[in-house]
Amino acid sequence: MATAPLLLVVSALLNQSDVPVEEPPPPTPGFEARGMPPSTAPGEGSGEAPALPPAEANLARPQVEPAKGALPQMHYDQVVHCGVLRSSPQVPSGQYRIQCNDKIKVCLATPTHVLFDDGTEGPEPLTRVVECATYSREDWAVKAREGYRFLPAIADAPPGWVRDERGRVMQVSFDLNRRVYLGAAYAPTASRLNPAFGGRTRADFGVAIEFPGEEGNVLNRIHLLESEIFLGASTEIDTTLIRYDWSVSRQAPLFWITTFFGSAVRHDFSFDAGGWFEALHLESVKRGDQEANNFLTLGSAQLTLDLWHSRDLVSYLRVRAGPAAEVDTARGFTSLKGQAALDGNLTFDADGFHHAHLLVTAEQLYFDPVVEGRAVNPSRLKIRAGYEVVFIAINDYPLSLVLDARATWRDDLPGVLPGWEYGGEAGLRFSFWAPARRGASPQKAN
Amino acid sequence: MGLASGLSLAVVVLAGSPTAPCTLEDDRGQPFRVCFDPGTGLELGVAVDGRQAPGAALTPGVSAAILYRTERESRSKEGSLWFNEHRLLATRVQPGGDQRWLRGTVYQGLFRRHLTEGFVLVPTAKPLRLPFPFDLAITASVGTYERRVFDGPGFVFESGKAAVLLDPLRSQTGKAHLLFGPALSHTLRSDGREVTQEISPMTSGLVDFGFETEDGWWNLRLVGVAGMVFTPGQAGVFRARGEAVAERVLFAVNDAPLWESARFTYALHDAGVARKDEWAASLGLTVRLFGR
Repeated sequence: MATAPLLLVVSALLNQSDVPVEEPPPPTPGFEARGMPPSTAPGEGSGEAPALPPAEANLARPQVEPAKGALPQMHYDQVVHCGVLRSSPQVPSGQYRIQCNDKIKVCLATPTHVLFDDGTEGPEPLTRVVECATYSREDWAVKAREGYRFLPAIADAPPGWVRDERGRVMQVSFDLNRRVYLGAAYAPTASRLNPAFGGRTRADFGVAIEFPGEEGNVLNRIHLLESEIFLGASTEIDTTLIRYDWSVSRQAPLFWITTFFGSAVRHDFSFDAGGWFEALHLESVKRGDQEANNFLTLGSAQLTLDLWHSRDLVSYLRVRAGPAAEVDTARGFTSLKGQAALDGNLTFDADGFHHAHLLVTAEQLYFDPVVEGRAVNPSRLKIRAGYEVVFIAINDYPLSLVLDARATWRDDLPGVLPGWEYGGEAGLRFSFWAPARRGASPQKAN
Repeated sequence: MGLASGLSLAVVVLAGSPTAPCTLEDDRGQPFRVCFDPGTGLELGVAVDGRQAPGAALTPGVSAAILYRTERESRSKEGSLWFNEHRLLATRVQPGGDQRWLRGTVYQGLFRRHLTEGFVLVPTAKPLRLPFPFDLAITASVGTYERRVFDGPGFVFESGKAAVLLDPLRSQTGKAHLLFGPALSHTLRSDGREVTQEISPMTSGLVDFGFETEDGWWNLRLVGVAGMVFTPGQAGVFRARGEAVAERVLFAVNDAPLWESARFTYALHDAGVARKDEWAASLGLTVRLFGR
């Protein structure tokens, strides 16, 4: 008995090796935290069965079958277990995420770490996967004996994201209504002053925030520092410090009409009114040799009425109208401004790649003093339509192509004959933030 | 790729061991700090400033700023890290002599997102992932005011500046970056009688190199911006401005470090209301109270 400790020490020393061994990747967080050593054999340490030598324990575990063709995809909305299967040169740790289908007796298995280019397990844990339901010591060999097959798979990915065979995840859905963006465009313009389309460039930037109300029938939108700067033939700056608006989908219709042509049919009519507010909107316009005109809207409040909106309220076509106070900073007076607009914003696909917008704004100034060279109560009519499509993403941030067309009629610029101006714009826009859309579709399983 | 890898390696070698202890003990077992964060704290500095100007003498200057640096995981893109730097109310003043001068910035922030493997996604039916060896960053500053009393009346007020930047170094810490990219800015320039607007709509380039050793003893920052600015209705003007700052910890009092700092700035068609060419240099001492 006295020699037993000595034997243990000798045994421990003999088991040490001077041969450098390639360090296996760190275990997935959660394995140790939940008291499950990665290399634990079935039953080992549980007191239920004697421990097997490591090699035999490994052989006792079920093996993941070799891949045949395209890998199937785990489902993000189904239970995933973390466990240890038979280790292999590709997955030395033997740590897998496992999702079983009891009907067809198939378990999908994917390594817990991102694979290197050569298909071997790397040190980076998978990200954006569902938390494992259990880190159990379930004897997966029992399942194998019951006829379950263990097939290699691609790990689950949340809606709006896809994962490749190596386990790397990437975003494929972009919410352009939640972003910080910067853009530049070629923006030629033509007007009475410059009949030929003149060279002009546009830089634009801003912050867009969108969030639903608690009950889901209200969608709030905030725009910060939304700005456009035009340089060239017709210099212009258009910037707004903050704009806030919301859309509402009423639970009950305001009224309905029942028609009795053939069978009776009920037609609901809702009154989905909301609000639109703006503070500190600067429009700086310079035409020809004239001095720059700076029109600063101190504040604007408008009532909105949705003509149509999508179920999630993100897309809409609405009319809005209301008063505003506008300061002519160059001449030092304040006017009352009446505004009315037809305002549309459409997102065509669930992943947010295609967008269109339409804005028709009519404005007229009241209580303005006589200004030499322009009419009393001058007005502006602005029409703008555009299309934006995401065509690549860089490090999960979308880069989009932006096409715009606009036409403006105005008689508020002293010394400039009233008339139409036309413009077209084509450029690029880079967006930070842009998380996956709330209604993004999950990755299609193979 | 080769250059970027070489730069990254050089930065790693120069940065020193990341595992060195930050608190040591003296012979009596009394602990003392040997690691410092030059990116956090209430920064106060004194310096001797010199400027390229006729008859300009060396004059004392003071500076102050609130610095805060964070490192956090992205919420919208889990699995990647954000390294953020914030500078609030950064002010430098030469209060006396014939070189009275003030420059202050309400807010300046730098936000860099580090990804283990950068990529470009081409959204084909089966999304195509192409390597992209850069981290992305964004920098923004709001409200930079400069008043040069010795130049006469007037001021320069940069209301905002923003830039989208690439970083080939892709450091896994917030202690090194090499950023470059296009910048836009809006500036008001007054000669005391008239205020003119200047815009640089992505027609400028910005470079920002930052490096500090793991223990924070050495701190180097090079920032430059160059490009065209436009006044509505006038031809564009090329201007450039660069600043280099080097700091070294001299000693620490009650674990609060004191840095010796050297600063050099050069402006090409950008100094003051008159858009002069000018260099300036300063040598000083800086403390960062309530830091880490």
